[in-house]
Amino acid sequence: MYCIYFLLIVGVKVSAEIGRPRGVSISMASKYEPNDQKIFRCLDGSGTIPYEHLNDDYCDCADGSDEPGTSACTNGKFHCTNAGYTPKNVQSSRVNDGVCDCCDGSDEYEGKIECVNNCKELGKKMREEQDEKRRLQEEGFKKREGFIAEANNMMEGKKLKIQELEKEKTELQDKLKELEAKKAEAEGPEKEAKDKHEQAWKEQKEVRDKERSAIKAREAFDELDLNKDGFVDVLEIIPHMEFDIDSNGVVSEEEAKEHLEDNEKVDFDEFSSRIWGNIQSIYKKLVPDDQKEVPPPPVEPQGETGVPAPTEEPQEDAVDEDKMPEYDEETKALIAAADEARKNHEEADKRSRDIDGEITTLTSYLNTDYGKDKEYAILRDNCYEYTDREYTYKLCPFATASQRPKAGGHETNLGRWGRWENDYKVQVYDHGQNCWNGPDRSVKVHLTCGPEHQLTNAYEPSRCEYAFDFITPCACNQPPQPQDKDPHDEL
Amino acid sequence: MAATTIRLSYYLCCLLLIVQVHSVNRDNFKTCDQSGFCKRHRSMQPGNSPYIVLMDSLKISSSQISVQLLNTKTNVRLVLDLYGLQGNTARVKINELEPLKPRYEIPVGDVLIGEPKQQDLKVLDKGAGSITLGLEDNKIVVSYSPFRIDFIAGEEPVVSINAQGLLKFEHFRKKPEAQPEEQAPANPIEGEEKKEEEGEKKEEEKKPDNEEEPGLWEETYKSFHDPKPNGPASVGIDVSFPGFENVYGIPEHAESMALKTTKDTDPYRLFNLDVFEYELYNPMALYGSVPVMWAHNEKSTVGIYWNNAAETWIDIRSTTADKNFFSKIADLVKGNTEMAQMDTHWFSESGVVDIFVMLGPRPKDVFKQYAALTGSTELPPLFAIAYHQCRWNYNDQDDVKNVDANMDSFDIPYDVIWLDIEHTNGKRYFTWDAHKFPSSKDMINGVAVKGRKMVTIVDPHLKRDDNYNVYTDAKNRDMMVKGGGGEEYEGWCWPGSSSWPDFINPEVRNWWASKFQYSEYGGSTPDLYIWNDMNEPSVFNGPEITFHKDVQHYGGTENRDVHNLYGFYVQKATAEGILMRSNNEQRPFVLTRAFFAGSQRFGAVWTGDNMGEWSHLKVSNPMLLTLNLAGITFSGADVGGFFRNPDHELQTRWYQAGSFQPFFRAHAHIDTKRREPFLLPEENMKIVREAIRKRYTYLPFWYTLFYHGFRSGETVMSPLWVTYPEDKSTFEMDDEYLLGSSLLVKPITEQGSVGTSVYFPGKDESYAGSQNTYVNAPLDKIPVFQRGGSIVPRKMRVRRSSSLMASDPFTLIICLDKQGEASGDFFKNNILQSSNADPSGKGSTKEWVEKLIIVGYPKLPQVSISQLMAIHSLYITAMIVTAEC
Repeated sequence: MYCIYFLLIVGVKVSAEIGRPRGVSISMASKYEPNDQKIFRCLDGSGTIPYEHLNDDYCDCADGSDEPGTSACTNGKFHCTNAGYTPKNVQSSRVNDGVCDCCDGSDEYEGKIECVNNCKELGKKMREEQDEKRRLQEEGFKKREGFIAEANNMMEGKKLKIQELEKEKTELQDKLKELEAKKAEAEGPEKEAKDKHEQAWKEQKEVRDKERSAIKAREAFDELDLNKDGFVDVLEIIPHMEFDIDSNGVVSEEEAKEHLEDNEKVDFDEFSSRIWGNIQSIYKKLVPDDQKEVPPPPVEPQGETGVPAPTEEPQEDAVDEDKMPEYDEETKALIAAADEARKNHEEADKRSRDIDGEITTLTSYLNTDYGKDKEYAILRDNCYEYTDREYTYKLCPFATASQRPKAGGHETNLGRWGRWENDYKVQVYDHGQNCWNGPDRSVKVHLTCGPEHQLTNAYEPSRCEYAFDFITPCACNQPPQPQDKDPHDEL
Repeated sequence: MAATTIRLSYYLCCLLLIVQVHSVNRDNFKTCDQSGFCKRHRSMQPGNSPYIVLMDSLKISSSQISVQLLNTKTNVRLVLDLYGLQGNTARVKINELEPLKPRYEIPVGDVLIGEPKQQDLKVLDKGAGSITLGLEDNKIVVSYSPFRIDFIAGEEPVVSINAQGLLKFEHFRKKPEAQPEEQAPANPIEGEEKKEEEGEKKEEEKKPDNEEEPGLWEETYKSFHDPKPNGPASVGIDVSFPGFENVYGIPEHAESMALKTTKDTDPYRLFNLDVFEYELYNPMALYGSVPVMWAHNEKSTVGIYWNNAAETWIDIRSTTADKNFFSKIADLVKGNTEMAQMDTHWFSESGVVDIFVMLGPRPKDVFKQYAALTGSTELPPLFAIAYHQCRWNYNDQDDVKNVDANMDSFDIPYDVIWLDIEHTNGKRYFTWDAHKFPSSKDMINGVAVKGRKMVTIVDPHLKRDDNYNVYTDAKNRDMMVKGGGGEEYEGWCWPGSSSWPDFINPEVRNWWASKFQYSEYGGSTPDLYIWNDMNEPSVFNGPEITFHKDVQHYGGTENRDVHNLYGFYVQKATAEGILMRSNNEQRPFVLTRAFFAGSQRFGAVWTGDNMGEWSHLKVSNPMLLTLNLAGITFSGADVGGFFRNPDHELQTRWYQAGSFQPFFRAHAHIDTKRREPFLLPEENMKIVREAIRKRYTYLPFWYTLFYHGFRSGETVMSPLWVTYPEDKSTFEMDDEYLLGSSLLVKPITEQGSVGTSVYFPGKDESYAGSQNTYVNAPLDKIPVFQRGGSIVPRKMRVRRSSSLMASDPFTLIICLDKQGEASGDFFKNNILQSSNADPSGKGSTKEWVEKLIIVGYPKLPQVSISQLMAIHSLYITAMIVTAEC
């Protein structure tokens, strides 16, 4: 087999424009001017080819520079003049592929498709849009300047405020000490007087309680001692269902014995000293069977056999007796004085803590990154909403992002303020509510220049990874200066 | 896309272990032990078959013999039909002699493309114990008692049927009268044996043999009861391959290419199922079934096609051949060496035994023989073999527009952008979500101006909503699948409560096809193509996530009879719809998840819901090789993996592998992070872009491959042994493959790998030559090599889409062999239209050849130095290294 390396040249393409080959921009034209040897040097210097091999639809140069007007080189670029609009470099693969990529249609010269030259219309529209954009930008930029000034003022104000607060706090420290001392001073005598009064009462009460308990123990003993032999024995305990420890409906001998501290029977002394204390809370007077809760039939009137259900034992008239008597006048005066001292101290202490809180808030405010010129500070402490078909999205800049169903229901936290990204063009809110079978929710907020602060779109490009579009004058940069206003460098 | 609701409960309980423990919930799927007929067949022991041939009944015609078989234990008679077919093929059919009612057979023209052309059989010998028939150069020996059939190619026995005596044919029988006390048995399984005993007593045949087996008249699996109104009806038989050590085929399983013995596992199962997060390397059933198996050794390739659409299980054993027997019927090579043998045992829940024996003898012959039966892969339209960008879901029109624009601004070519289920109005297929896709035609046209297409998903389940006209139309025409009681079958799928059109019915298929008319499918255009998912079918609340077995289909058949065909018919009807909407001018493209033998005629298949894991990237090669061997050549795996988030390295390697697999589509689950190629870090993005571009440069080669496949049934993605049948070291090689016979591909499928050992086959060729060579493959390299002596057509001017490359020039890569020669071809026709090439080979095109790149020329030709030096890709570099010229 003969090995020939050949190429088929399908007609030499004639450049449409005089002076430079097809697909070459004016700025590059000089590089393509024929020299005396009629030799073209690849722009990367990698080789030379005869001039007639330029744009012959066969790629010779490694950098693709010999085929600016065809699709032969995969790495080449085609320049569309786009008179009336902006010039554009498109990949060589766009040349003659049947898709109009240049508004002047120059990329489709083989006629696979008829491209309408709409550069003029596009240019007009573009200029209008640019004008509008510039106007918005100018307006926005002015606002932004205002916001920055405002932010700086605000920052200054907050710094001053911190200073004030710190000063106040220092002063407050001394006062606090003083008040604390006063408090201690007043509380000493107060405590002494109160303790004395309470001790006296306690002693009095103990005596009385003892007496009363003895009476109750006697009563119970007498009730329990059915056979009146001066002893309470196991058999006398058994009818009392309240002693059914395991709730099996029967008080067994063991259970009865347990309540009698392992005695078969006890006399009153033993009963009052060792037994009564343990059982007094559960002990119930035995109610004869026929008196047991026979709930009165609702309709029938109670017959003569009906015994009125035992009414609640009237609460002992000891209620008042159990209450400690009022302090005497002298103690009362001491308490009043101490209360006053405490109140004064508490107030000052609260103020001190409030100051700490305020300082923390202000510091956090001041330490937040509001952009290169603090231009975004103005958005703080405000919230903005956007509602789509299903949800209302809320953005509180530098705080939170959230979502709630339009139809009602509770709010979902989409993220808390995280950080800036992409040179202050994107805000990230993260560590929001966890997604079932997914990540914690997060939001990327894309900021662009606009006349007002407005949340304009919210979407979820990936499950639980949200994106907001937010327009704001804060994102309006200084518009380009008028001298580079004219975008068409080639006409 | 798509999985099932099991996911819900599954994820809930595993939330904390998400990274560790995802895998299939085996409890949702039957083991052989839980399937009555599987258990009955599997418990049979090899030995003498109770079946004998009744020679008196023998009828011989020119290409067919017909004879009765008698079960000497039950006295039930069967009829055996043996046909000679053109192309070294025979057909063995066994049916009941007098069934109570006809047993289900797949209509000719559906799976079989037509009545197979018959070939004369010569009676060579008719002895007392056997009859020997001649079919071309082969002998077929039918032994009478016990009954068995042996196929002898030349002098080599290659296929034996019923040599193990495992033929078991459950004839239709009358259901025994239920005893009053048994009408509501407390435990249906317990009630079983008694009833069977009753039944057997009432059988006309005096038998009682030992068929007291469970599950004959009803079965219960989990909470699902199968009343089995027809009773036992399964069929099974053994097929042995004497002289062979390897068998292949019977997709779909997540398994190596060379099939394994099933001694210690369940048999390989063929039963189309929606398996959530399937496990690798096991015999469990997956989405599709092709009951075709090849046996290959150094001398020959043979195989069988088991023409049965019911649930089927296949046991495989590796044994040694009975040389004693074979020496009686063939002049066997003398000697004491043992002869290897593969024993296989096939059993299906209903239908008949219908085996096509394809006798090769070369790999390419068996593919041709199989294609003559079930058809070959239709030549895909060009865009379909380019790169597809898919995700569950592209959210709305803007999303589609943005992805399209980003692909262009990153200069990454793609041909098709896909819309999964969320594009519909509440999962009502053929409709659009009016808010997200208010002007679908504008959207489609927006990508179509750049030569691109779109695909929407159309699943077979219809939302039971009386305001949904596709549903009401089907309902009013009484076209739905019926439950066991004759009511419209209802189950759960994506839309909630759903019903399923009965695709088994040809009228229903016509009706379905008509739904793709532009007038019917609002918002569609000629640039919109279709994807059929969930067509196993997937029924979230059904037994094994699919239809109940007693679901009633057209013609009085149960799902039990036709289960594995449902998805096949869905895709067939859809493809016909696409043809119809264009007055038969447009070549359809329909992707399907479920499939059967013959599905290759209707479009592409993908391997379903795989995972973004290295192991799943690795298994994609054997799975696709097996699909190719089974005729489903247009197949691929979700690039990147459907579930989970692949890391950048895995995603990059997966793109590289996918770019050299037949169907090349990236896809991702709705819960995954966005992963369009332009979102990758720049380094990876560039490598992925290069891989996709490389695919585009090779499109003329791929198109030609598919054309050859269409003409001859050949594999597109081929095991090495297809081209090097005598090279034993390739018989189990499934991590390396050939495209046609020209390109050798060894994708990197290991994490962190920067090189791989490549086996270069062909002793006398210009590869390294039957040896392993270590090849460097850092992240930006794909180990692909061109065979010496071949010419591969490429188009190096990569455009935004394949159709924009239509009139671009070719570059021919010519790799010389040792003699300094090379040959190759390429095919060219209208890339979309259904008319094929002018048979005269004439035609005109604007394309031309711009470059011939010759590799392996001893001296560099003068004029081409600069061009040769300018070739950078690993592919070429490696080729220069390995080519010996």
